[in-house]
Parts: sequence; structure tokens; C-alpha cells
Amino acid sequence: MSGFFQATIYGLLQGGLLALVAVGFSLVWGVMNVVNLSHGAFVVLGAYLGWQLHSSLGLDPFLGMILVAAVLFCLGYAVQRLLINLVVNGPIFITLLLTFGLELLLVQGMNIVFTANYQSITTSYAGNAVIVGDIQLPLGRLLAFALAVVITVALVRVMSRTRVGMSIMATGMDRGAARLMGIRARHVYAVTFGLATALAGMAGTMVGVVDTFNPAAAGRFTLLSFVIAVLGGLGNMYGALVGGMLMGLVQAWGGYFLPGTWVNALAFLLLVVVLIFRPSGLVGKAFYSARLEV
Amino acid sequence: MAPTLSPAWRQRWPWAAGILAVAAAFGLQTQLYSGQVRTIGTIFMFVALALSWNLIGGYTGYASFGQVVFFGLGGYVTAALMTHAHWSFWLALPVSGLLAAGYGALIGIPLLRLRGHYFAVATLGVAEGTREIVTNLPDLTGGGGGITLPTVGAAASTKYLGNDGFYLVFLVLAALCLLVTALVSRSKFGFALRAIHQDEDAAAAVGINTTRTKVLTFALSGFLTGLVGATYAFQQVTIYPERLFDVELTVLMVVMVVIGGSGTVLGPILGAIGLQFLSEWLRQNYTTIHTLLLGAIIIAAVILLPQGLVNYLREARRNGDYSLLANVRRYRL
Repeated sequence: MSGFFQATIYGLLQGGLLALVAVGFSLVWGVMNVVNLSHGAFVVLGAYLGWQLHSSLGLDPFLGMILVAAVLFCLGYAVQRLLINLVVNGPIFITLLLTFGLELLLVQGMNIVFTANYQSITTSYAGNAVIVGDIQLPLGRLLAFALAVVITVALVRVMSRTRVGMSIMATGMDRGAARLMGIRARHVYAVTFGLATALAGMAGTMVGVVDTFNPAAAGRFTLLSFVIAVLGGLGNMYGALVGGMLMGLVQAWGGYFLPGTWVNALAFLLLVVVLIFRPSGLVGKAFYSARLEV
Repeated sequence: MAPTLSPAWRQRWPWAAGILAVAAAFGLQTQLYSGQVRTIGTIFMFVALALSWNLIGGYTGYASFGQVVFFGLGGYVTAALMTHAHWSFWLALPVSGLLAAGYGALIGIPLLRLRGHYFAVATLGVAEGTREIVTNLPDLTGGGGGITLPTVGAAASTKYLGNDGFYLVFLVLAALCLLVTALVSRSKFGFALRAIHQDEDAAAAVGINTTRTKVLTFALSGFLTGLVGATYAFQQVTIYPERLFDVELTVLMVVMVVIGGSGTVLGPILGAIGLQFLSEWLRQNYTTIHTLLLGAIIIAAVILLPQGLVNYLREARRNGDYSLLANVRRYRL
């Protein structure tokens, strides 16, 4: 029983982190109707930047994360402004392909610069065990979980309370009307994408602290983000949190009860079932479904 | 083509050109040496894949991002039948195609109700899930360690075809896909697909049974993709789930169709040939960074020619405006 309990807690902790991985993806999809296939590559890039800061400057990853976020925000802003904005009104294959090209570019670039070897950010404290009852939890995972939840909640506040957040939401709901109100859609889209990549980068750094990573992991992160975004409802940030937790639990329980890698099949089965029966996501009404095409 | 053609020839010349091209491809084989035969055979494989994706993605407008599931399924059905039941490849091939088509109909019925990105994601999920199932049935599929088809000695139910044999099989498959696409493109069925692409509710309103049409198309597309997958499995001898259900294969199909021109007969062929040649050339000349360059080229192509080469030329000829810059403005924010 204690093994099951341990798996559940692990699943929830992992789920919180996965939520942060996916929240940016969900935001971009919900606001711009762009499925960003390069999202996972930005997560891995964040992990590598955090790792580089840690190994060459000795910067603590939880501090370095802020720098990583700043760098990735600028990169994401530029990518949206200079590339994706050029095709954002096209049919869906177009944006899918553009971001796929970007993914190839980023992943191969990282393969060349950082090699394909597995890396991880090793700190002196992340492996320390925190013992609650008869369950052992690594400190790094607890910290990562707490930060992931705090950042997601902060993001919700930013979206609903600040001028930037509200203009992002407005543009997502009706771009034409938003532009008539004097919102610069090109800039807002770029900020949205920048926010998404910054969040991906922070999530990546924390993934680096609790786990190993290499450039090839990018595809897996993109797929996970897909599933979580759909589970939670597009553009719904609390939804991403719920979707992430659910995903973490499914993975943990699947790994505990099922042999082999059946757990992966389970995750995708869940995705397909949710899509068929509740395409607007599990949590409330998707913000995207009410949106008008302009 | 030239506007001087008589109406009867305007109908006929594409068929004549198609037959000539296939005949030329048969003849080409005698002029190549062994390594080239394999490379060109792979190009035919991608032509067939691009054409079959084009049916559901290009004509019907349903972005199947899990198309590789039919490829993998076709390959694994052939592998299982040849290894465990000692079937001949020539018998396993059509059975693989039919099973892939059946799977297409089965998943198509619930999934084709979804539109846009949701359909794309759901098919992607099906493909990934199917790969995991295949990986977890080691008795039947060899699991993650792969399965080796019997190709030599007494165990071989069909003698290995060699580079020349596979060149012909892939060529015949590409020709079959071309024939199917040409027939669909000019039939009432093809117009029903285009109608669904443009406005599904309006298509239903004019009496098209949209569900049946979509499921049929998905199954047809799955059948053709399954045939190609079956042949690929035999060519590779040892197959792994990671390779046969590789998302990148799906993406390549989409890239080829979109760059060539989706919803046309010629576009996917040009896209497949162009991209494969380019990719092969890059691999030979810039070994370490060829994928990086490929990514950059995809980005450039998507931005400069978002509607695909064939559609671009068609429109440019009509308007007399060949400016790429004007073309970029098309989908810009």
C-alpha cells in the first residue's frame, strides 16, 4: 500500500511540473490557434541553458531559471514576430509545418552544440530526501512542484489582472475587435509566444534538476503538452494544471499497475477518449470554443 | 498547358503524360547503378505516401497527423504474417492494405467528427497509442527489440526482392496511388471531398453524406499507405516500432504535399521528388548539419510558398503576377 501511495505522490509532483511544461503550449494554441510543434524543443533548450549556467558559472538552477526565462522570452518574441506572424492566417498545416521546421532546427542545433548525450543538472541538495510518514520525497521534486504551481497561478493572475494579460485574452477572443480597440495584434502575438517559450524554458530547467534530458526528448515534451492542453481545455491555464496532474497520476498509476510500457498507450487512449466525448476539455468550457474566426 | 489544345486533348494530355512518366520511370531503372536504384526507389515510396496523404489531408482538408499508423500497421501485419504464418509476401501485401483500411474506417468513425486541430491531435494520439500496443505485444511483433522477416534459406516464404525488385514494387505502388488520385480528382466523389474541405455544413446541405464520404476516403488513404508500409517492412528486413511508427514520416508526407501543392494531383509528386532529392543531396554534402538545413528550408518554403508550388503557379499564371513577395503577404498578420 505504501508503494501505491508513494507512486501517487510522485505522480502528483511530476504532474505539477508537466503542467508548467504544457501551460505555454496551451496558451499559444488557445490565443493564436497555432499548434506549436517546437514547444518541446524550447523546453529542452531551457534545460540546456540552465545546465550551462550551472556548470560554467555555478549559478543555482532555481536562480538561473530567471535568466533562462528572460533569454527565451526574447527568442520566442523574435520567432513569432519574424516567422510565425508571416503565416499565422494560413490553414493549419502551414503553421504546423513552420513550427516543425523550427523544431528540426532547434533540436539539431542542440545536438551539434551540446551533443546527444544525456545530461542533468546536479545540485548538492536536490537529491536530499524529505521523509513524510513512510514516504521519501526528493527535495528537488518538491521544490520544482511548488514553483511550477506558483508560476502557473501567477500566470493566471497576470492574464486576468494586467493590461498585457487582458490584451492577450482579448486578441484571443476576437482579433478583429481587439485591433479596433487599438491593440497591436502583431506585438501581442509575439508577447504571447515569448511568454510561452519563457514558461517552457523555466519548466525545462526544473526538468533538468529532477531528471535527465537530451535533445531527442523534445518530441516527447511536445506530445505531452498536446495531451495536457487538450485534457485541460485550450488556453485554460488552471485546466493545464488539472490536465498535468491527471497526466502525472495516469503515468504513475499505469507504471505501478501495468507491465512494460503499456502506460504510454494508456495516456494516448485517455487523450482520444476525451477528444471524442469532451473536446472542450475536462475543466469547464474551453475559452477557445467561443472564439470567432476573423 | 497550351490553350491551343483541342478540348478532347485537354482532357487526355494529363493521362498521356502520367502514362509516359511511369513508363519512363520503368526505363530509368536500366540506366542506374545499384545505389541509385535504392535512392530512387525510396523517392517512389515517398511519392506514394504523399499521394495517399493528399486524399484525406489535401482534398478533404482533414490533417491526419497520425497517417504513419497505417504505414506501421501495414508493415507489422506483413511481418507477422510472413514470420509466424509463413505467408507469401504477395498474399500478405494486399491483406496488410485491407487491414489498414479497416483500421482507418474503425478509428475514422469517431475521429472524423472532430475538426481542425482536434482531428490532427486525435490521429496523432492514435498513432502513438498504436505504436505502444505494438511494442507491448512481443510474441506477435517482437516488441521494442524488433522483428526480423525471413528472407533467406528455407524459412523464406518469398525470396528477397533486392534493390531492383523493390524499385519496381514502389514504382507500381506510386503509379497505383497516382491512378487512384487522378480518378478521385475528376469524379463526383472528388468534388464531394472538395466541397467538404470548403464548407462541411454546406456540403451536407447539398446532399453529400459527409460521414460516409470522409470515412471512405480515410480508409482508402489508409489502404494505400498500408501497402507502402508493408513493402517497406519487407525491404528493411528487420523492423522496429520506433521506425515504422515514426511521427517524422507523417510530417514528411505533410511537408511534401504542402510544398508541392495540396489538393492537386501533381503537387504531392513534385513535393516528394523535390524534397527527397534535396534531402539526399544535403545528406551527402553537409553530413553533420543536413537536418538543420532541411529545417531551415522547410521554414523558408512554408513562408514563401504557403499554398504550394502547383497552386502558386496556377494562380500566378491566371493573374500574371509571379511576385513571391506578394505571395508572402497572403497569410501575414
